[in-house]
Amino acid sequence: MTIRRFMYRRRKDEDLAEEIQSHLAHEQDVNAARGLPPQEARRQARLRFGNPRATRERVFRYRSFPFIEDVWRDLRFALRSLARTPGFTAIALLVIAVGIGVNTAVFSVIDAVLLKPLTYPDPQALVQLENTSSHGPYPVASIPNYNIWQQQSGIFQQVAAYDLGGAGMNLTGGDHPEQLLASHVTGGYFALFGAAVVAGRTFTAAEDSPNGGRVAVLSYGLWKRHFGGDPKIVGSTIQLDGQPWLVIGVIGRNFVTDMPADVWVPFQFDLTSHEMVHGFFVTARLKPGITAAAANAQLSLAAEQFRRTYGSNAMETGGSFRVVPLQEFMIGDTRFPLMVLLGAVGFVLLIACANVANLLLARASIRKRELATRAALGAGRGQIIRQLLTESLALSLVGGLLGSLMGFAGLRLLLSMGPSAIPRIGESGSAVVLDLRILLFTVGVSMLTGIVFGLVPAISASLPNLATSLNENSSRSGLGFRHGKIRSILVITEMALALVLVIGAALLIRTFLKLQDVNPGFTTHNVLTATMSISGSRFQTTAPVAQIVRDGRERLMAIPGVLDAGASNGLPLDSGFGMIFDILGRAKGETPFTGGAGFYSISWSYFSTFEIPLLRGRAFTEQDDGAAPGVVIINQAMARQYWPKGDPLKDRIQIGAGVAGPAFAEPPRQVVGVVGDTRDDGVDRDPDPRMFIPIAQMPDAETALNSRGAPLYWIVRSRVSPYSLRASIEAALREASGGLPIAHVRTMAEVEVRNTARQRFNMLLLTVFGAAGLMMAAIGVYGVMSYSVQQRTQELGVRMALGAQASNLRNMVIGQGMILAGAGVALGIGAAFWLTRLLASFLFGVKAWDPVAFIVTPLLLSAVALLAVWIPAKRATRVDPMTALRLE
Amino acid sequence: MASKKPPEAGEILQGTLDMLILRTLMMGPAHGHTIAQVIEHTSENALEVEQGSLYPALHRLEDRGWLHSEWGVSENNRRAKFYRLTAKGRKELSAAAGRWRKMTRAIGLILGDSIASRGE
Repeated sequence: MTIRRFMYRRRKDEDLAEEIQSHLAHEQDVNAARGLPPQEARRQARLRFGNPRATRERVFRYRSFPFIEDVWRDLRFALRSLARTPGFTAIALLVIAVGIGVNTAVFSVIDAVLLKPLTYPDPQALVQLENTSSHGPYPVASIPNYNIWQQQSGIFQQVAAYDLGGAGMNLTGGDHPEQLLASHVTGGYFALFGAAVVAGRTFTAAEDSPNGGRVAVLSYGLWKRHFGGDPKIVGSTIQLDGQPWLVIGVIGRNFVTDMPADVWVPFQFDLTSHEMVHGFFVTARLKPGITAAAANAQLSLAAEQFRRTYGSNAMETGGSFRVVPLQEFMIGDTRFPLMVLLGAVGFVLLIACANVANLLLARASIRKRELATRAALGAGRGQIIRQLLTESLALSLVGGLLGSLMGFAGLRLLLSMGPSAIPRIGESGSAVVLDLRILLFTVGVSMLTGIVFGLVPAISASLPNLATSLNENSSRSGLGFRHGKIRSILVITEMALALVLVIGAALLIRTFLKLQDVNPGFTTHNVLTATMSISGSRFQTTAPVAQIVRDGRERLMAIPGVLDAGASNGLPLDSGFGMIFDILGRAKGETPFTGGAGFYSISWSYFSTFEIPLLRGRAFTEQDDGAAPGVVIINQAMARQYWPKGDPLKDRIQIGAGVAGPAFAEPPRQVVGVVGDTRDDGVDRDPDPRMFIPIAQMPDAETALNSRGAPLYWIVRSRVSPYSLRASIEAALREASGGLPIAHVRTMAEVEVRNTARQRFNMLLLTVFGAAGLMMAAIGVYGVMSYSVQQRTQELGVRMALGAQASNLRNMVIGQGMILAGAGVALGIGAAFWLTRLLASFLFGVKAWDPVAFIVTPLLLSAVALLAVWIPAKRATRVDPMTALRLE
Repeated sequence: MASKKPPEAGEILQGTLDMLILRTLMMGPAHGHTIAQVIEHTSENALEVEQGSLYPALHRLEDRGWLHSEWGVSENNRRAKFYRLTAKGRKELSAAAGRWRKMTRAIGLILGDSIASRGE
């Protein structure tokens, strides 16, 4: 086959026509030579040749791609015929766009979060190391953990530890000190993650050892932002926390971590340490050929070794180590919510399909005569199905492209509106990009959709009864029984699916409202917080920290409008530190300590600033300082759990229980007060036990550890909007601290919003999906009923002529419509009972079979259906019997 | 449209028309009408060229590069399109003729055998 065959078809056809004329002329000559008269000679020549047109067509077709050209013709026809009915086309496109748009939006998130491999080299070999315990696995590790893990060279190629840079570092020395996100890492960190070095180098083993010197690696962003991308920065020193640090390298911009960092500094672990403080993460690269299962087998041996080395107190009975694939670790518990959302958009798409199928069925019955004519003119069944399918595919592809643009824009809007608490999604969802994969997904879903909603109408329309269709004098022949039945089933399905969606949305909305109602245990009104990094050498002992807390409060209180102020090493709603403790004089039983609780160091004014109620005993005062006897205040949950009957105020506790390592050489502390619970692990969790000690009473080693691991949080409650005081607050704190900057300035209301971000995200999405489903179901019911009224004009006219009242007719139409709606609602309630169990883990304060959702939602749906049926029912009563009958 | 009934005597077997056209043009360039007449006369009118097939065949052969055509003036002083065999066409003809002879010999052997055995 050569390409020549398909070129210059028109010209070749004209050429052939002339050639045939020439042939006929020669034949005529021959006939004339045989003595025939000219007329007869020509006639016989023509007779002999046959139909020249047929020959030309044969050659023409030989020069064409029949399938492609047929499809092209069908497509042009489809577009013309869709353009002739702009109303139908617009509604169908809208419905498809919504159906596919939400799918594209959700798929693009799933793709970015779950499907795309991590951006590190050979990401399948990366695993996260975790401690396991009877309470479940926990990923934070201690130096002894790291020490044992990095010795497992049989299973790991590389092991690296890193923290999330909670404490930050102050970049000083310029006009404007800046608080940096500073992550501590071990020497192998960059090699493990394949981070490219654009200038200089990364840490050597010597630099990552105790007393290895002050060396830092800059991120690309900080290098460009603060140092103008000057390559000479490598080898020079910068001021961090008032100390000179040698910059040894800059990391390329493609190195992306979930927790961003401006600067990396070496951990400089003392691997002989027995300190059981868990404060960082560890990732490893498996050796080639080692599976996660094999690594876990080896790690249970390592756990034995750990117990032998560090003593049986170092790890609880039954505790061990394990690895999980890094990607799985990063995704965490996000997979299931995303799958639920995918299910929900699947429902929306099904509703959209049912809806468009319905519209197409109605359209097909209006076009019955057209289709019958085409069939009578010789179009085969296959050709008619192909023609109708081409129409649906054209609809679904155009609608799908429109929809994915809409859905994608909507998603970006949603992601940029607030924190989404979704891992791997980047700053404001920047990792979600419209790429080829998303486009392929959209095109695939669109084609599938077009076939799904197009096939039933196409097949049913391709079976027309030619004689009756052509004989009918109008399109008023009515909906055949089969059409009516298919359409009713479609509407019932739509209603049922929509009900499931709306019930799901209602449950999440109720959950969200309940969350809003939960008393967090502290005030969020006009409370501003800010962080101050105190990781420098100035703050390795308690006295200077207590000093700036005291000075800072004094200066803050001097600002007009400030009601109260305090400081702490953690905020309510943020997860903080935990520590074990003993109740002195109480038998411990099996474990080496009494129990564990959240552990906060606070200024004496912390509770009054947050308006956390004191339930028993006393609050801290300024007099509870380093010289005074040790005191601790516990929350109600801790009192309930550890003093179910007794009186905590009579007891003294030993924080660290003598086994937590040298940093926790704590004095025994008298419990002096019990305060109300705050919902620290999020408002949807029951409060955990918490203990609070005065900042001024911390042992020096504890302060040093704390200053390295967390910033100092300042809290200011004011009479006026706290942001209006921001400049004065910043100035006051800078004065008090001798020039330290503050960062992460936000109100507690914002912290709370971030805390419920995921619930809000899920609720918003499911509400949008539910509303879309409800709207489409309403369109569906309306469409079927108004079409049926239109088709039954004659019947209604006859009924009226025979004396039926307008109200009878109206009620009849409403009744028929509501039977469909009712069947859908009944089915939907059943399905929802079965499916909302999947939502149970998202719900708070609401049962999966919440009666409100299960009663109100069906009523709402029925009301919408009634509205949708009402309009055609009204129309039915306006049928003029004379006109209707005259149409006969 | 392919017809399912067996070809009648005189109809040219599918595929052989190409070969007959090439063979005819061995004698020199000719236009469509002449080609049809030559095939019919040479076969002593045993073969009838269906004229509706002739032109599609000519165009197909030309697309394959076996023929070359140009407009000229015929013996009757009429405008006509003359077809000429190309070098590629010559090669194809000898190949096609070879295939044909092999096949007819094979068919002849089969038919001959069966007729012979029945004759005994």
